[in-house]
Amino acid sequence: MADEAVFRQEFPVKGGDFAKAGVVACRIKDLLKELGLGTQVVRRAAIALYEAEMNVIMYAWEGRVRLVVSPGEVRITVDDNGPGIPDVDLAMTEGYSTATPEMRELGFGAGMGLPNIRKNADDFRIDSEVSRGTHLEITIHTNGHQP
Amino acid sequence: MKENEHYHAIHITKDKCIGCVHCMNACPTKAIRVKDGKARIIDERCIDCGECLRACPHDAVHSHTTSFAALDAFEYKVAIPSTVIYGQFGSSTVPNEILCALRRVGFDEVYDLSSICELNTAAIEEYLNEHPQPRPFITSTCPVVVRLIQRRYPALCRQILPIEPPREIAAKILRAILPKALNLPPEKIGIIHLTPCPAKMVSINSPATLEKSYLDGAISIRDIYPQVLNSLRKSRDDALMRHLFPETLFSGIGMGWSLSGGETRGFKNHRAVAVSGVQDTMRVLDQVEAGLLQDIDLLECTVCPDGCVGGPLQVENRFLAKSRILQLVDAAGDRAVVDHKDMSRLYHKNFLSFDHPVAPVETPPLDPDPARAILKAKRREKLIAKLPRKDCGAAGRRTAGRWRTTSSAAWPVSPTARSYKRRNDETRGPGDTARPQGFCGGREAQPAGRRRLRGRPPQRRDGPRR
Repeated sequence: MADEAVFRQEFPVKGGDFAKAGVVACRIKDLLKELGLGTQVVRRAAIALYEAEMNVIMYAWEGRVRLVVSPGEVRITVDDNGPGIPDVDLAMTEGYSTATPEMRELGFGAGMGLPNIRKNADDFRIDSEVSRGTHLEITIHTNGHQP
Repeated sequence: MKENEHYHAIHITKDKCIGCVHCMNACPTKAIRVKDGKARIIDERCIDCGECLRACPHDAVHSHTTSFAALDAFEYKVAIPSTVIYGQFGSSTVPNEILCALRRVGFDEVYDLSSICELNTAAIEEYLNEHPQPRPFITSTCPVVVRLIQRRYPALCRQILPIEPPREIAAKILRAILPKALNLPPEKIGIIHLTPCPAKMVSINSPATLEKSYLDGAISIRDIYPQVLNSLRKSRDDALMRHLFPETLFSGIGMGWSLSGGETRGFKNHRAVAVSGVQDTMRVLDQVEAGLLQDIDLLECTVCPDGCVGGPLQVENRFLAKSRILQLVDAAGDRAVVDHKDMSRLYHKNFLSFDHPVAPVETPPLDPDPARAILKAKRREKLIAKLPRKDCGAAGRRTAGRWRTTSSAAWPVSPTARSYKRRNDETRGPGDTARPQGFCGGREAQPAGRRRLRGRPPQRRDGPRR
């Protein structure tokens, strides 16, 4: 299985570590570019990833981004140990946000996070358990649609 | 344009290059490799930012700008100096004197760029008014930023604000009026930019947004500096009088263009953010690519620190130059010299716009076949995991100054360093210059490493052949 054309990598994300905000998204973006995936695929992955990574940094204690790239699709799973989302449907509404004033001051919390991830993904799943954590699955087809 | 696609203003002089990898480490687009002990630039990746030029301790990176001899081809020579030049000659030299000195140096006419800078600011604001989306727009003044976006952020090409920079607009205006005014064929008139960076040369020879540049060349401020200084010295007494009869009216809004934030200082109704320095520019463009900063109207990016005033081909210490230009900005205040109606007319005639939008330039992926690219990336990860990923530190901290020094007093005195200095001294002939044996080479790293890479040396056969 060693030379199967599937690239897997894991990235830890620490909650509250604003100094590293966007680092994982950036590294993955650079990698996807090197793999020769289309400009729009890379951009959508970058936007979705950035939002997901920021959610972990802003709300969770710790998290993990797993990247699986095969020639046909990019799959990103984000797991965190965090407070979880009590009402996922509400959180998926555009404009809804629980960001604190401090976060808003930093330019976050426009309430676009989760809907924006869904908009940029071809396939999006979210599971969340209060006081345990949140699990996201983002799939982007490499020949997928344009959002 | 095609044959010039990979034109670069930055070159490596092989004779001077010792393969020290400073330039390679400084390169923001990973465009430099050291092969066979010499640095080489990968044309497709290079954006002519000049970071290697700054980093090279051996003066082995050279920039190509227009030579004075090339000006002889023109009957009438016009200079449009970057406003950076006003900060180059101390606080007692006023801009008018500098323009006069340039005339004495050999230009038939010299035009101040600050008014065109003001025109640009107004045109950019007009464009932002008319185009509410996308956000943020990014300015195109710095040719390196345009090339960086083409290669590293292709998705952002459509966010580059399609108004030509002042130097091109100034040249375009002069091209339109001078042939008639002078009764000369256009090709006899040479319009030359005086530039603080080599990248302008690239934007002239292979423009990203024009069919053909309106400029004929760019002379570096560094090259022309001695002549201007000389001319200024000779005319010191005249200068005193000239102060009292200013010939050119400088724009207060345009005067600060060469400083980071200067392009947008004259904005009235838009939110602009200025970024300078190549690393910071990349950091911010990464965020824009991730969909951030959409509440900002305009992002002014310049890859040189503090803006064009930090260009590698200017002469004055950039902090002094900046302080001098700020003085001039203060003195000129908010003085506007451009009539808004004139700007509006030119703008609506599309006189100020790009000929065509910025097109992405594809950087080759690890492999054209996605499956093989993935395999290569996996192999690379495995390889990287095996490497120590650190500098052994025996050679001390890598700074340009330390490598440059040849005196033994400046060498570190740690035992390792001392022993390998001694070893070098023993093997070095009298004519050789001090040449560190590579960092990360506490002990014989280079020779041993090389041998290992090439495999065992062939065994000598002393016995009879069978």
